Amino acid sequence: MNLASLLVKDRVNLAIKPGKKNKVIEDLVYLIKRGSDAELIVSTLLKREELGSTGIGKGIAIPHCRSLAVDKLEIAVGRTTKGINFNAIDKKPVFLIFLIIAPPQDPGNQYLLTIGKIVQIAKDLTKKDLLNKAQTPEEFVTMIGQIEKELNKRK
Amino acid sequence: MECEVIEMHLKYLFDLDNILSDMDEPHYQKIGFPIEKEEKLSLLRKRQDLIEKLPPDIAGVYERLRKRYQRAIAPVENGFCFGCFQQLPTELLTRSNEINTCPNCGRILYWRHK
Repeated sequence: MNLASLLVKDRVNLAIKPGKKNKVIEDLVYLIKRGSDAELIVSTLLKREELGSTGIGKGIAIPHCRSLAVDKLEIAVGRTTKGINFNAIDKKPVFLIFLIIAPPQDPGNQYLLTIGKIVQIAKDLTKKDLLNKAQTPEEFVTMIGQIEKELNKRK
Repeated sequence: MECEVIEMHLKYLFDLDNILSDMDEPHYQKIGFPIEKEEKLSLLRKRQDLIEKLPPDIAGVYERLRKRYQRAIAPVENGFCFGCFQQLPTELLTRSNEINTCPNCGRILYWRHK
């Protein structure tokens, strides 16, 4: 499973409008889907958030769900310089969001593997202070690819 | 109840069930997202509300399929049921305004909006 190959530059917004958690999630879903499908996805993501925040700490959140509205795993990324209150695990604001939507039937459980990998990469991003390094979506995707390669080498 | 409303309730119920079943996956638990027990109970109550909103026969079919397959609804892709990967008969593909099930596996079929 190659995370960088799942990232599409058109779905990376490095200057998302800061706002309430629900609105930010909605805006990121709109990078992937529109219309009634988007509503269904947003509703499911928010239900998942009710269970406990997907803000994993150190400024990163990974909202995620499965949905009938998608036929393959889809990722949208949003970054903001103004922190978002995500009720994160460390109670600190969130600056980088990886939003993941997977189809219900998911061969090889790519969904859970992808979430796991993003958690690892996110930890590396904060450790190396790279959260704000990329200036363009292309640079962001390349950077994630590099971190992923390094992580694979370490294994 | 209108077919569109039933379909909507089924979709919400299905997505809710997926959240709940993923939470029990060891791989998911290993990732370590915090889960609030109270909120889980509240989600289970919402699930029950959705079940009660459905006509009893549809709710019964859904619950039976969920027990059997874990995922009771399967998307339709290119004329195939994506639960059992069998081709669906042509008459099903010119879908009528009702809840359809796969003639092979019995899962409730879902056509994505394109």
